[in-house]
Amino acid sequence: MPVASVIFALAIGAIFVLLSGHDPIAAYVDLFRGAFGSPYDITETLIQTIPLVLAGLAVAVAFRTGLFNIGAESQLLIGAVAAGAVGARFADLPGFLLFPMVLAAGIGAGAGWAAIAGYLKAARGVNEVITTIMQNYIVVFVMHWLLQNGPMTAPNALGTPASAPIGAGAVLPIIIPNELVPLTRLHAGIFLAIAAVVVFWFLLWRTPLGYELRAVGLGARAAAQAGIDPRTRTVIAMAIAGGFAGMAGMIQVTGVFHRVFDGFSSGYGFDAIAVALLGKNSPIGIALAALLFGAFARGGSIMQANAGVSAQLVSVIEAVVLFVIAAELIVRVLTARRRARKPLEAIA
Amino acid sequence: MTVDQLIGAGVLAATLRLATPILLAALGGVVSERAGVVNIALEGCMLVGAFFGVVAADQSHSVVVALVAAMAVGAGLAAIHAVAAIHLRSDQIVSGMALNILALGLTSYLDYQFYGTTGTPSDLAGVPDIEIAPLAAVPFIGDVIAHQNAIVWAGLALVVLIQVFLFRTVPGLRLRAVGEHPRAAETVGIAVRQTRYWAVIASGMLAALGGAYLSLSVAHSFTDGMTGGRGFIGLAAMIFGRWTPVGALVASLIFGYGTALSFSLQGASIGDVRVPVQLLSTLPYVLTILAVAGFVGRSRPPAADGLPYETEGHA
Repeated sequence: MPVASVIFALAIGAIFVLLSGHDPIAAYVDLFRGAFGSPYDITETLIQTIPLVLAGLAVAVAFRTGLFNIGAESQLLIGAVAAGAVGARFADLPGFLLFPMVLAAGIGAGAGWAAIAGYLKAARGVNEVITTIMQNYIVVFVMHWLLQNGPMTAPNALGTPASAPIGAGAVLPIIIPNELVPLTRLHAGIFLAIAAVVVFWFLLWRTPLGYELRAVGLGARAAAQAGIDPRTRTVIAMAIAGGFAGMAGMIQVTGVFHRVFDGFSSGYGFDAIAVALLGKNSPIGIALAALLFGAFARGGSIMQANAGVSAQLVSVIEAVVLFVIAAELIVRVLTARRRARKPLEAIA
Repeated sequence: MTVDQLIGAGVLAATLRLATPILLAALGGVVSERAGVVNIALEGCMLVGAFFGVVAADQSHSVVVALVAAMAVGAGLAAIHAVAAIHLRSDQIVSGMALNILALGLTSYLDYQFYGTTGTPSDLAGVPDIEIAPLAAVPFIGDVIAHQNAIVWAGLALVVLIQVFLFRTVPGLRLRAVGEHPRAAETVGIAVRQTRYWAVIASGMLAALGGAYLSLSVAHSFTDGMTGGRGFIGLAAMIFGRWTPVGALVASLIFGYGTALSFSLQGASIGDVRVPVQLLSTLPYVLTILAVAGFVGRSRPPAADGLPYETEGHA
């Protein structure tokens, strides 16, 4: 079913390429080559995949608890800001002190920020969709201030407002020797992403808390009857979600950019919604879906450069994937005509 | 900080201007949710309205054609949501979000394909302002309302029209019945699904008009993602306004005022502290969260809002 929706989305994308006067086959070949054409391209795809995995987990934890977290983008950004601020402020500390501090700052900032949406939902009944969307805009403007003429502004050669670089102790090492893949930027963040997937699985399916979160997600009223207070679990779930997303931002700072700048995320938090839904909110599914969208992100930019087809085609494809999953019925009717209907999983 | 920066005619005129796109989205939300369909694709409808309004204005050099085209595309996007929500019984939030991402991707994609990196043409046909000559000389009031855009007035007229339609006409009563208790509505012979289709499509047209206002009345150009969440703020205004057009107007004016303040207070200082421009820009979004947090418990959505309706014996 996920495969069918991706193929359907690629077909719709092809129509748009055709309509804009380009060859869809050539565009898709460029897309694929850009993503997997050489060892270097593969490592670049993986670099795109890492934040998508973590942000995908952030959306999925919330989904599993019956919450729609559209705020992964701002949770990621605020995690990056916190990591960048701590990493630069204490730049002289040795790595064994600095890195844990930066990690904690990134996760903590994301968790605290997301917990606000959880709290407003639990205490005031405010739909988390509205809160998290508004939070996305708020963080963007706060970052403009911090980086353009605020406390984090630092002179730099990027040509865009940016913070001071983080200390060398907090920088994630490149994990592939230069002789093997010249110029590769693939960093140790990939291990953190894998660890996060394992934590996600263990937390949700092997701990009492995870059981409670999933119980709330399947039915808040029934969970309450069983003595699980959905309100506290809502706050906890959002905090965990924000923690994953904050970690994504922190990894982008420590692994890729080594500082924070204006326009830091290319929408990973939004792609994460498609990642979580396509991956059916399961650990392996999210990892695979993140790889797919990582490949789209990497391949899309190459396609734009080579075939002259806007990389935005990728967001069209992504939206169609999302829509098809939302309207799961279409695909189900197309694939198996009379199978029993079941409601879309864990989305309230 | 001066009184003029807080309640001057300039600020109030800006409030009306800035409230209009939010109001149009909020009106769309009212119509759709009163019929029982949650349409968070309003943001996307606005964005396609903004973009295709510009494309049509560029091609036809006619404002009327541009507005019709914008609303038609908005109706089309909303119709997709309607099919998903009404016929396919999708999750309405996920479907709406998918369409928002589609609208953002599609308009950015086509913007690049049509206009490359140079931007949209500068000689676009714009929606004219309505000059009320007799008022222009009146102090204060003249400065506030004598030179407003045609769509600002259209928005205000739509508030009255939709308020009367929903609460004083039979079709309006039927629409609300469909959103409150679809089974009962069907029992007395109201076509539930058909009513919902029309309501969702109308909501898309309203939001698209709001989008076209942004591109054709205010900016006279299109930039990627230019709606900047106004569709979502419109939904907050709808909640804040308790799902009524007049309430939505009041709420939109409050959000518009918040934004107008964020402009007029630029460079202002409280005591010795200069308020950073960028932080002021967060005002409408913060206000939205606060408004919804303060009011959501006290206002009640239509009973069947967001629930798919299945004809009995059909499931």
